[in-house]
Amino acid sequence: MTGTSGPQTITLAKGLNQGLRAAMEADPKVIVMGEDIGKLGGVFRITDGLQKDFGEQRVLDTPLGEAGIIGTAVGLALRGYRPVCEIQFDGFVYPAFDQMVTQLARFHYRSQGKLRMPVVVRVPYGGGIGAVEHHSESPESYFAHAPGLKVVSCANAVDAYWMIQQAISCDDPVIFLEPKRRYWEKALLDVEMAPPPLFSSRLVRGGTTVTMVAYGPMVRTVLEAATVAEQDGQQLEVIDLRTLSPLDLAPVFESVRRTGRLICVSEAPGEASLVGDLAARVSQECFYSLEAPVLRVTGFDTPYPPAKCEEDYLPDLDRILDAVDRVLAY
Amino acid sequence: MARIFALPDVGEGLTEAEILRWHVEPGDTVTLNQIIVEIETAKAAVELPSPYEGVVNELLVEPGVTVAVGTPLIQIDTGDAAVEPDVASSIGEEGPGGRITTLVGYGPRTTTMTRRPRKPVAAPATGDRGSVPLAKPPVRKLAKELGIDLSMVLGSGTGGVITREDVQRAAAAVPAGNGAGSGVRVAPTVPGIAGQRRVPVRGVRKATAAAVVSSAFTAPHVTMFLTVDVTAMMQLRTRLVGQPAFREVKLTPLTFAARALCLAVRRTPEVNASWDESTSEIVYFDYVHLGIAAATPRGLVVPKIRNAERMSLRELAVALDELAVAAREGHTAPADMLGGTITITNIGVFGIDTGTPILNPGESAILALGAIRERPWVVDGAVVPRQICQLALSVDHRVVDGAQGSQFLTDIGALLSDPALALTF
Repeated sequence: MTGTSGPQTITLAKGLNQGLRAAMEADPKVIVMGEDIGKLGGVFRITDGLQKDFGEQRVLDTPLGEAGIIGTAVGLALRGYRPVCEIQFDGFVYPAFDQMVTQLARFHYRSQGKLRMPVVVRVPYGGGIGAVEHHSESPESYFAHAPGLKVVSCANAVDAYWMIQQAISCDDPVIFLEPKRRYWEKALLDVEMAPPPLFSSRLVRGGTTVTMVAYGPMVRTVLEAATVAEQDGQQLEVIDLRTLSPLDLAPVFESVRRTGRLICVSEAPGEASLVGDLAARVSQECFYSLEAPVLRVTGFDTPYPPAKCEEDYLPDLDRILDAVDRVLAY
Repeated sequence: MARIFALPDVGEGLTEAEILRWHVEPGDTVTLNQIIVEIETAKAAVELPSPYEGVVNELLVEPGVTVAVGTPLIQIDTGDAAVEPDVASSIGEEGPGGRITTLVGYGPRTTTMTRRPRKPVAAPATGDRGSVPLAKPPVRKLAKELGIDLSMVLGSGTGGVITREDVQRAAAAVPAGNGAGSGVRVAPTVPGIAGQRRVPVRGVRKATAAAVVSSAFTAPHVTMFLTVDVTAMMQLRTRLVGQPAFREVKLTPLTFAARALCLAVRRTPEVNASWDESTSEIVYFDYVHLGIAAATPRGLVVPKIRNAERMSLRELAVALDELAVAAREGHTAPADMLGGTITITNIGVFGIDTGTPILNPGESAILALGAIRERPWVVDGAVVPRQICQLALSVDHRVVDGAQGSQFLTDIGALLSDPALALTF
């Protein structure tokens, strides 16, 4: 953020870039590593210019081996560094899954709290950019299911700027999911405004009829749906989860007790998913407030489809508003 | 997109050719198969057609130069997409068609803010009735708070779902004196004539009065009688009482009558039904909510055994006992007295032989069970002492014809005189 002052309009990608830069300036132990992130600046240019300014010792181009990236980060963390790893695409995180759930997630527990794992794993995730196979996945439920990992997802440029810094300063491993289809969406960032805590959900639009919960790429879609629903006289309340593990559900409970209806929206396949757990918890906590069953609007239970079909796969305005009609019919 | 046309092998394994003359120059529009260049090979001069349609960007080889097969000759802009080589430098910028340029994929597309024509919303799935009453959680909570048993409430919502209004209506219908927690108030004495005592009509007495009046003067009653030899039933009772399963269970003739009634209802469903004046319909019930008329210190109450048709003899015995205890102690909840489908009144416990019972309002049949006595009875031409009982059945003649009522009563009588017949039901 050097040399800038006052609010500025930036993209989500730029927010991440500036957030990374701020974190690297603040703490010399922060190092950034990943495939093509140095000279190229990353496929999505998130690390653009960092190697030039911080040098090859702190911004490392790694070989194409995700397990190796995470394994190296675990070692670096044990030696006092704060590695920030980039997994180039969501579909490439699977080779690193073993290191993430068997080592990264467990050191703190295994060492009875003596060893910390301040590692951030950045993953551009989700579909909507017309990409080939393995480039549009939503793997959040795998990681949210693993004890010891924290999982967050930003939905806008302001959160991107702050959340990446908060994740880096967190002493636990954080899986940082970046909604890649939203990388180029802009928001007004005022660095003077203090951010909310990292592991907190936020009410992003007040309403009275139905509570809508989304995170990452779907927040924008749900907000658009709320705008359209307003023309029908429906005031949808929208909550951006932001943190997927741990979940911060107090605002959701509070909202559902007022509206009596809940719809969870996520790109990931619905079966055995994060939103399924959310539905169960809300049913338990708000049972006598529910005027309708909790509905989920999700991707389908198939592998992510070829690019030309993805518009039919991704939850969109119509599918969300159809769900609104259904919960209001009870 | 800019496309390159390279020198093809024009035949027989030629490896090179000389460019003789270009027929086009940069800026020209070319059509598919338009002749664009003349070349000379070792064998002949040949004209080459363009494999692309578009605008010539650049001629890559001067006339007079000899080039190898595969050498790019001309670049033609076909105008169908972005020029590829520049992608890396424009990541994140808006490309043709308003899409953001990405290294991988077509880039995100802009989403629509209009909704497609709406489909009608399907009614929520409700499943079959007869199991748990259908109501959403806040309505269940309300019913609980008001002391309303939801299985007693007829749902007016889609698919029989019980609405908030249904519960409130049901709560309003419960007689005030029976309200849970309202307590029993001592009737204040009214000054009057000596030798007379006036007691205000309220509570159970008031409810009973209203019920019998409404029933007696709306439903045309027909009562039929049957005297049966229940010796076999009494013997069965003696046998069962000695068995471990029935130890600590009160097995009374009423239990057998209740079981026989549940079995007989299967053959004559008309008796387990309700005349609905408001809709001009007869409502047939798949379940038996069996009312048991009970005398209590507070008056006559008719608590119900829910889904009695699903109960075994032993379960019925337990249910009857619980119900009797609750009624005697005045603990019967108001909701427990609503929504019966058929009733038994056990007048035999008072030593009475038979009577003409009045229907519980809304029901179509009531069975009166008389006292069981040892009487002379003709068996195989000889007069022998047998256990004899009289049954009386009143029916709502609007719903139940004489034939149906007779069949029902005969079935009950047959089951009580020969319990083994239950196997055939």
